[in-house]
Amino acid sequence: MSMRLGPQPGEVLDRTRPFTFTWNGREVPAYQGDTIASALAAAGVRVFSRSLKYHRPRGLLTASFHDPGCIVQVDDEPNVRGAHRLARPGMRVRSQNTWPSLNFDVKAINQLAGRFLSAGFYYKTFIRPRWLWPTYERVLRRFANGGEVPPEAAGDYYDKRYAHPEVLVAGGGPAGMAAALAAADAGASVLLVEEEHQLGGHLCWGDEADLAALRGLSERVAAAPGIEVLCDSAVLGRYEGNWIAVVQRTVPGVAERLVKVRAGTLVVASGLIERPYVFAGNDIPGVMLSTAVRRLINLYAVKPGERAVVLTGNGDGDAAVADLKRAGVTVAHIADARLGDDIVRAHGRGRLRSVELPDGRRVDCDLLVTATGWTAPAALLTMAGDRPVYDPRAARYFPDPARLPEDVLAAGGIAGDGSLDELLAHADAVGAEAARRATGAGDGPVPIPTLPVDAHPALFRGRTHGIVDFCEDVSSTDLVQAVEEGYRSVELVKRYTTVTMGPTQGKLEAVNAVAIVAEATGRSIGETGTTTWRPPYVPVTLGALAGRVFEPVRYSPMQPWHEAHGATPLVAGAWIRPDHYGDPHAEARTVRGDVGIIDVTPIGKLDLRGPDVPKLLNLLYVNKWSKLDVGRVRYGVMCADDGVVLDDGVTGHLGPDHYLMSTTSSGAATVWEWVENWLQTQHPDWQVHVTPLTTAYASMNVAGPRSRELLERVTEGVDLAGEAFPYMNVRTGRVCGVDDCVLWRIGFTGELSYELHIPAAYGLHVWETLMERGHDLGIAPFGVEAQRILRLEKGHLIVGQDTDGLTRGFSAGLDWAIKLDKDDFVGKPELAWQQEAGEYPRLVGLQPLDGSVVPEEACQIVDPPRRADRRPRIVGRVTSSRMSPILGRSICLAQVDAHLAAPGTQVTVRLPDGRHIPARVTDHLAHFDPTGDRLRV
Amino acid sequence: MSDHVRRAASADARGPIARSPIAPAPPVAAVAGWEVSARRSDADLTVTDLTPLAKVQVKAPWDGALAGTLGGPFGRAERSASFEDAEGDDEDVLVVGSGPGEWLALGSPGTAPDLVERLERLAARLPNPEFVTVVDLTHGRALIRIAGERTPDLLAKVCGIDLGETVTPNGAAFRSSVARLAVDVVRYDRDGTRSYLLHCERSSGQYLFDALLDAGGEFGAEIDGFVEPGLS
Repeated sequence: MSMRLGPQPGEVLDRTRPFTFTWNGREVPAYQGDTIASALAAAGVRVFSRSLKYHRPRGLLTASFHDPGCIVQVDDEPNVRGAHRLARPGMRVRSQNTWPSLNFDVKAINQLAGRFLSAGFYYKTFIRPRWLWPTYERVLRRFANGGEVPPEAAGDYYDKRYAHPEVLVAGGGPAGMAAALAAADAGASVLLVEEEHQLGGHLCWGDEADLAALRGLSERVAAAPGIEVLCDSAVLGRYEGNWIAVVQRTVPGVAERLVKVRAGTLVVASGLIERPYVFAGNDIPGVMLSTAVRRLINLYAVKPGERAVVLTGNGDGDAAVADLKRAGVTVAHIADARLGDDIVRAHGRGRLRSVELPDGRRVDCDLLVTATGWTAPAALLTMAGDRPVYDPRAARYFPDPARLPEDVLAAGGIAGDGSLDELLAHADAVGAEAARRATGAGDGPVPIPTLPVDAHPALFRGRTHGIVDFCEDVSSTDLVQAVEEGYRSVELVKRYTTVTMGPTQGKLEAVNAVAIVAEATGRSIGETGTTTWRPPYVPVTLGALAGRVFEPVRYSPMQPWHEAHGATPLVAGAWIRPDHYGDPHAEARTVRGDVGIIDVTPIGKLDLRGPDVPKLLNLLYVNKWSKLDVGRVRYGVMCADDGVVLDDGVTGHLGPDHYLMSTTSSGAATVWEWVENWLQTQHPDWQVHVTPLTTAYASMNVAGPRSRELLERVTEGVDLAGEAFPYMNVRTGRVCGVDDCVLWRIGFTGELSYELHIPAAYGLHVWETLMERGHDLGIAPFGVEAQRILRLEKGHLIVGQDTDGLTRGFSAGLDWAIKLDKDDFVGKPELAWQQEAGEYPRLVGLQPLDGSVVPEEACQIVDPPRRADRRPRIVGRVTSSRMSPILGRSICLAQVDAHLAAPGTQVTVRLPDGRHIPARVTDHLAHFDPTGDRLRV
Repeated sequence: MSDHVRRAASADARGPIARSPIAPAPPVAAVAGWEVSARRSDADLTVTDLTPLAKVQVKAPWDGALAGTLGGPFGRAERSASFEDAEGDDEDVLVVGSGPGEWLALGSPGTAPDLVERLERLAARLPNPEFVTVVDLTHGRALIRIAGERTPDLLAKVCGIDLGETVTPNGAAFRSSVARLAVDVVRYDRDGTRSYLLHCERSSGQYLFDALLDAGGEFGAEIDGFVEPGLS
């Protein structure tokens, strides 16, 4: 039966845009503007979900964002608030955690076991025997009252942004709008955040006068240039310094956006939330709050029932009566709480059948409307340090302005009562004061009028017990039982019973819970206190919290070439590098036989200028730098204060007071910071300027016996002959028509090689030219893997691989470089001590006796026990290993204890599969060309 | 090498073609030896690769004589009077106070050597010698301009800095995280239109460009090609 009414003055429906969606497989009509719940209610649906523990049928309670009875699954999205989410064509809506159907749910059998599921049952049951817990867990998981995320579900797009308004107004009701307008009029930038799909708060479902006021405010907000409005958005939390989290749901193509706001002043205008009444049967579908029926009738043109009983304690209940009558609902009985009237219990199972009155009469009805008071959602104020104060006159809490920080204000119903004009005048002053506090403009504090407090009967629990927390299925008997068991603090009752811990987070149930605990303990509500409100104000998706993840990547100028030529990418930090082009062994053989070219752009490069650069180099490197002629290059090692190897590289003397330092690829940023740190904190008097140039140059190493022949074809202004440009020298010149190139004759691969640093914009041009001009020389690109093979053949260490966070200089085979006779350098005392102590691990070359076995890197080197029942002692580890295509056998570098470092020593390597293999310490770190003849030609 | 790149390269036979780290949106043209996008957009929000601009870093005492000559104090960008020619015409050099005692001078494409020379000359003419270094960073930085009234909204999606008039008025320069990347940002309004220059290490130029385009998609951002002299 359709419950859709004719057009209503304030309805938000676009009746020219009808469509359908499905509810548990059944097609349901809707209009644009309908929420899922309003469309279902219009279609006659009364039961939307089952409760958490007892699987009792649940219907609409608030018909708003906070409605606990209408949480549904929409397509692949679980836990959707059906009374808030707008319906859209074709959406598939399902009830959650019901089987086999919503109307007949087998798990409702839990109601029979209700006495075992009372307060704190989590802590009493399923505890023993402990070994059965896995079984309990599997069963309990089936009762979890959430939706499902199918494993194959496509992820949504989540986003984030920052905002820096001078004033943030939380709540877009009349007070929030007035405060925003006043703040904007005072020159402040304003962010106005509203939970609903439109501004206006209770004016939206009000009478003609309310709607007229709403139109006026809305027009002014729309015309105000300084106000940004976020509807369908929620302020999640307020943190130190007005750092405020807002989740926005209205961005096209974006599921949710987390807005990180730094606001000058926060105005909390979150209005009031109507609270339910506690009595037997208060969760039967058909029992609703007065605001729910007013929303259904006025916003969505839905008739909420046919025959109603109304319990009213305030003007909103009276207005609900008028709306019901106007909508054609028979109002069978009105119980006016202001006159002492009450109700006792509601009867019905899947839907309301009747209401029992104190005199024993039962009034048949399908709708029971309660208007029994309000909760002030003071969460944001509490997060700012406020402690709300209970006022028995109004039977609700109010903020304590004395405890609020300067940058937080409250406006609207949360701050007091009064007519609409009084509330608007108050909010206007609050908005102007908020702007003044944020901008510092104005002649002094804006006087803020005091709002009146209207008397309201204290209506929390009636003559019977009922549900307090509709999300968690916590009843008033649960709370009383908790008190009887000794939990007298409301905070402990909360944790013991889980009251206020569901999705509504206390907005509907907190005051009732406190009142019931107060009643049970014999204290006043004020003495009982409140639970603590913490972020988030409303549940938030993990997607919104995670937001969008940015992952910066870095490419060399030659990346397009690598991609076009089938390079397998290697992710090295943020850099994307070619690992190989198909056959790293072939690439290594090309370098040994002809000429290869590798992109080494990620090598760190620091431009050092100034007369004191030699002092800096002497301080930071362990070797000597005072005498390095222009045109010369020297290898250097940096150690930290504790003597641990920090980085290595070469530095070239390009010209007077001008050096170029290279670092490892991964150490570029660290070394830059290291250098700047020493200069700025220890030697600010030194005249040295450091500029990182890592990506200013496209760097490539041309390596192999025919590299000189190739470069002679493309280089101008540099004599490449061995005598004119010997090993460990640097020149600048023109390469492939590009000026200002830096050529270093160094050799990480152990071959005659030149490292070219090309102004980056020409990197691709030079690379392509070299490939073209070297074609007849057999040139081929090689990647990082071939380079690793080649350098291991040559015995060059890699800092971070062949060293670790404990490897001091002498353990890295750097004895030859460490000059303890220098006056001072970073790490010298520790290195001197290491040398003196003597017994330190050594880096050695290692070859398994069986050359076909390549021990994995990090394999342990062990001292086999003499007795079978003893564990082997670890005496070292393999730091690098590869199969050498040139030598046709496996080769390694390893760290071993000092007594095993002598050449020829046989050690035992334990493989990952547990086998032990013998290996021999080699004479040199280099397995190939240990005398360096090939690179000095 | 793609076809459009080949066409651009062959269009300038005078020497090697310089390439930005940001792939140019076709059609492609050559400007001062640089391959650039010749695409034109009349969108309200545009993203332009300005990497070909000359970029020269100066380091000098923050309170020295050269600092006063250059203008552009730390946190501000200004067109420097030091770069006006004899007739007082503006030579399109923007000096950004990018750090304490550190400046970045931006000029038209192809002018870096001249800019370096002029800056060194300025330093040499100081009455009392100062420790000054001048380094050409043209090849080391990617430079992107975003223009349009919605640029603050775009940047707010990738950068946490307050882009309001009070904190970052026109000419403000700061270094911050943009899409998790260390980026120098300069507010550079022109003809009353909000605009920002963003420069980062060259290797992340394409990443930053893509991140900005993605963030601007919501506001209809489009690529607008390079128009000489770059800093209009």
